[in-house]
Amino acid sequence: MSERTPAEGIRAVGLSCTVNGVPAELDVAPNKRLLHILRDDLDLTGTKRSCEIGRCGACMVLVDGKPVNSCLTMAYQCDGRSVTTIEGIADADRLDPIQQAFLEEGGYQCGYCTPGMVISVKGLLSVTLDPTDEEIEEALSGNLCRCTGYGGILRSVKNVIAKYKEGY
Amino acid sequence: MGLNRSASGERWRVRPDGPAKVTGALAYLTDMKASGMLHGRVLRSPHPFARIIDIDTTKAAALPGVHAVLTYKDVPGLNAYGIAVQDQPVLCEDYVRYVGDAVATVAADTPELAERALSLIEVEYEVLPIVDDPETALEEGAPQLHPHGNVLHRAGYKAGEADSAFATCAHIIEETYTTPRQMHTYMETEGGLFVPEKDGRLTVYAPTQHGLMDRLQLSRILAKPQQEIRVVSSPIGGSFGGKDELNIQPYGALLALYTKRPVRIHNSRWESVRAGLKRHPMRIAMKTGVSEEGRLLAHQVRIVADTGPYATLGAEVLNFAVEHVIGPYRYANLDVDSVSVHTNNGMSGEFRGFGGNQAIFALEGQMDRLAERLGMDPWQFRRLNMRQQHDPGPFGHPIAQTNGAEQVWAALEESSLCAERDTSGDTATTPPWIKTGTGAAFVMHGAGLGFGIPDPAGGRLQLAADGKIEVLFGYEEFGQGLIATLELMMIEEFGLSADDFRIMIGDTDIVPDSGSSTASRATSMMWKSLQRMRDPFRQHILATAAKRLECEAKQLIMGSGGIRSKQQPDKLLLSYLELAAFSDEPVVVETNFIFPAPDTKRVGAHLLYTYAAVAVQVEVNTLTGRVRVIDQFHAVAAGPVMNPQGYLGQIEGGSSMALGYTLTEKAVMEQGQYMTKNLDTYLIPTIAESTGRFEVVPIEDLPEGDEHGPRGVGEIGSVGLAPAIAEAVYQAVGKRITKLPIDPKELQEIPSFMGKAVRNG
Ligand code: FES
Ligand code: FES
Repeated sequence: MSERTPAEGIRAVGLSCTVNGVPAELDVAPNKRLLHILRDDLDLTGTKRSCEIGRCGACMVLVDGKPVNSCLTMAYQCDGRSVTTIEGIADADRLDPIQQAFLEEGGYQCGYCTPGMVISVKGLLSVTLDPTDEEIEEALSGNLCRCTGYGGILRSVKNVIAKYKEGY
Repeated sequence: MGLNRSASGERWRVRPDGPAKVTGALAYLTDMKASGMLHGRVLRSPHPFARIIDIDTTKAAALPGVHAVLTYKDVPGLNAYGIAVQDQPVLCEDYVRYVGDAVATVAADTPELAERALSLIEVEYEVLPIVDDPETALEEGAPQLHPHGNVLHRAGYKAGEADSAFATCAHIIEETYTTPRQMHTYMETEGGLFVPEKDGRLTVYAPTQHGLMDRLQLSRILAKPQQEIRVVSSPIGGSFGGKDELNIQPYGALLALYTKRPVRIHNSRWESVRAGLKRHPMRIAMKTGVSEEGRLLAHQVRIVADTGPYATLGAEVLNFAVEHVIGPYRYANLDVDSVSVHTNNGMSGEFRGFGGNQAIFALEGQMDRLAERLGMDPWQFRRLNMRQQHDPGPFGHPIAQTNGAEQVWAALEESSLCAERDTSGDTATTPPWIKTGTGAAFVMHGAGLGFGIPDPAGGRLQLAADGKIEVLFGYEEFGQGLIATLELMMIEEFGLSADDFRIMIGDTDIVPDSGSSTASRATSMMWKSLQRMRDPFRQHILATAAKRLECEAKQLIMGSGGIRSKQQPDKLLLSYLELAAFSDEPVVVETNFIFPAPDTKRVGAHLLYTYAAVAVQVEVNTLTGRVRVIDQFHAVAAGPVMNPQGYLGQIEGGSSMALGYTLTEKAVMEQGQYMTKNLDTYLIPTIAESTGRFEVVPIEDLPEGDEHGPRGVGEIGSVGLAPAIAEAVYQAVGKRITKLPIDPKELQEIPSFMGKAVRNG
């Protein structure tokens, strides 16, 4: 079984996009996966590698504000787009309220799924600040967590929603 | 009282490793890079069983950009590994015995080149007939995997004469229970970075549950003294027992030493699936008889475990299962026999619960069936036969006595889930195809490795030159929250602030031998170590401070920021930094001891046990056959809660694994090949299955004079849920479950209106 699409034979082309607000110009094969571009070429290892078939959500990033599995996204699909990874979620001096909520509620254990989880919550809350339980389930059902049993994750999401309601 | 954030007050803390985890800043060992590094890969067998005739690496080695193609000939030391028995080849020489067996390993400039190199290695095999079922493996004439045959281990236990006692039983239940090959499914697959250092040493950055054991094993393989190997092994993206044994370490180490360059390996999910350990599939046949009044008179058990091709901890898991098919009950006569069998299926080994999950699913299934046969309430039936406080352990051996069994039994009895079990259920608003039911199970689970297995523990405290108190343990952080627990212990035992000390784990160059972070032992052993070190360390600190302050040590106390006056604790007299600067001899206390084991001759018997009672309410959709858990109650008697967030997380997370085990998880193998190669077909619970109510009630008190303190809770949450769900399903739809995961087909019913239509049509 092939581990990766061999890059040989496919000419590297210029990719220009922004990553966490910073313009990035890269010479990569157009079919190189965004996951590997982030981790290997840009040293942004907060985006995690796990299933590489779009099932676990460990590799989730925002492309133009929408959550996508970076393991399924090819370089050419990012051209001219804005990519936000977990490293770009917090402000310089302050965690995003979502990250703060995960800390307070203990919505993580090993932490390997956490960047992807935070990204998916970010994507959800950019659509609505007051999601229903069904919307939360739907938004996070592509993010697998093996450690927590999701209890702490759900409490974290509820926590941040409540804070937004209080006008955080 | 339920465990949650608000009830925990100040003891609910942000974990020290939390900020780096939520920001993605934490560098896992599989995130590491080094300049000039190569990419390592392993060539694994395509066949479940074959003889190797020839391995030709010429073409692969000639590929530009390939720096090493190694085979068994290149293993300088012992070409085998295994925590207990070293029988698994690092690189196979004569036979391959499963589809994860490694034949060659390569290092190349890029992952793509490494992949190409693998495809250029020519291995000639003579494919052999396989054994893919443990029972056929025991038959005469079955292909033999090893010179010693196909039996890894047998274990049994007898007390009284079960055979003849069945004649006196009023009721007998006979049933065979089957459990699946479950995958750990840690989100971070195996991997790491291997760095040959200038001084000839090797640094291994790769997850494991016991760095010093990896160092020992690597030293044998590499024929390199242990002191020349440094294993850095935390943080880890999940393990659950699955990364305790060596995985990619031998290959990374061999390649790095051969090429004299750093080598990175990071398994794809498929490689993790094919090579990695799984939970032992077991077939457990039980025959259990009771008297007219419901006393257990005879209990006969036969266990057959599929251990795969090599030993790892298969024997130990089987011993544990034997102990736990007896469990927390009193029997007049017992007869347990078991065998762990080699097959050409995937490797089985250590997994959270360690054989208890399979054993207790079967045992509790018997209890529910017997109660029904007797017309008794299943919980009253358990009570009638339950061990009493001063009873010996399952093997008739002495154990540390607690009242845990009684306490969790009572807590469950008082739970709302239990109280409402007859009145809750199908209401007018639920559609007719949704049936609800409630079930419960009882768990007694051993901690530590048990009698007869080396089980060292210990730790060290020292004052560093920069004024930090260093807390050193050889345990690993794989998510369970060990660092957070240790932090809270240091704050509570010494009155320190979190920034007065530095926790140091996961590096064999600095840590003492604390034993493995396994078997629910780390929290217990950290607590015990601190109990042993607290007074000597405090005395040492205070005596040094007294010299400097020219007063008596008894006027001083340790506190936040430094040494304080006992009379006026508000007053800081000397900071730890000043103390460190003054002290001309090192302030160090170390302790080494052995995890408490019972006074017995029975290998694997435990001294310490945790108890749990689990109740669940389920909804069965009889159209789809799907089971949904809507309410869970867990009472856990494990002594004082050391870290509320960690405790709750262990029970919730353990239970989630058990939910998958019960409903969806099975690593399917056909003819020795994995059919479930990734997470699209191997299904672990998602958030959508995990939104039911969940309550954890910790029972903290221990008998007066108990010297063992907190018991571990790392495994117990993963054990009791399966039998509780099975009983709840029975209560809902009247169908007995004997096989996990539950097959929805068995629960589907033709709706009555359709049945009529069919009949009338
Ligand atoms: S790694 Fe992308 S979804 Fe799993
Ligand atoms: S915290 Fe480990 S996978 Fe979610």
